[in-house]
Amino acid sequence: MPRQDLGFGVDPESYDIVIHIRREQDIATARQVVKNFAQENGFSLADVTKVTTAVSELARNVYRYAGTGSVCLRRTTRDHGTPGLEIVAVDRGPGISDVARVLAGGFSTYERSLGIGLAGVRRLMDEFEIRSEPGAGTLVRVTKYRRSL
Amino acid sequence: MVPTIRVSDCLLVPIQVDLDDATVERLQQQLLREIEAERAQAVILDVSMVDVIDSYISYTISETASMARLMGCRTVLCGIRPHVALTLAQMGVRLRNVAFARDLEHALILARRRGTGGVPGIAPPGPRVRG
Repeated sequence: MPRQDLGFGVDPESYDIVIHIRREQDIATARQVVKNFAQENGFSLADVTKVTTAVSELARNVYRYAGTGSVCLRRTTRDHGTPGLEIVAVDRGPGISDVARVLAGGFSTYERSLGIGLAGVRRLMDEFEIRSEPGAGTLVRVTKYRRSL
Repeated sequence: MVPTIRVSDCLLVPIQVDLDDATVERLQQQLLREIEAERAQAVILDVSMVDVIDSYISYTISETASMARLMGCRTVLCGIRPHVALTLAQMGVRLRNVAFARDLEHALILARRRGTGGVPGIAPPGPRVRG
């Protein structure tokens, strides 16, 4: 079977859960799914909320700016085995022309928004990576690690 | 429709549904209609059951509060959960045009307080006539 590519070489087979974003309701679905996934994986209530809120922002960006795309989730680990949750939001939309400006916050091309979406997501998560090519799409990869007990 | 409860001259709105984008937009329209119909002095949004408030929900609440203000009605946000407060503060989200209350009792005090009730730019309401 040919290897699938959701954009930027993201293979859905290598993720535990893939949510396709096609309609506005899918934003709420993505939120619900990641909430359950984070709870099942032992995240604290505070971190479940941060991760869920981050996914809400990312899924909305996909829907608003690209129309369609995907949110992918998988368990991951860091150095000494600290478990974490990795989230990738990927689309083949118009891309972001000025990533630095978007990350500085307060900037949005979409009128009904605070323009702090991505900047806020970066503050909520432990790791943040963004790749965007105008005309080709955007990939945002974020990771949250479980607090050691 | 989100059910609302009239408490003296306030409109109490216990939010017990997941606030997806369409719901939050419908709620805005509904509240503006009800503020006019009920001639409410304040809208109290009880969000103690709400688990996620993201930037879009925050924006729409602030926008609704600013519209309500133009109609002479103040907005009190009541019962934000600790993990939601943590997330909003960490994201750097600012909710504008609203007063914040710990619980319903506190919300009713803020809603009826003469003066701004913590909301800048709101003129004190006139004397209230009790029927």
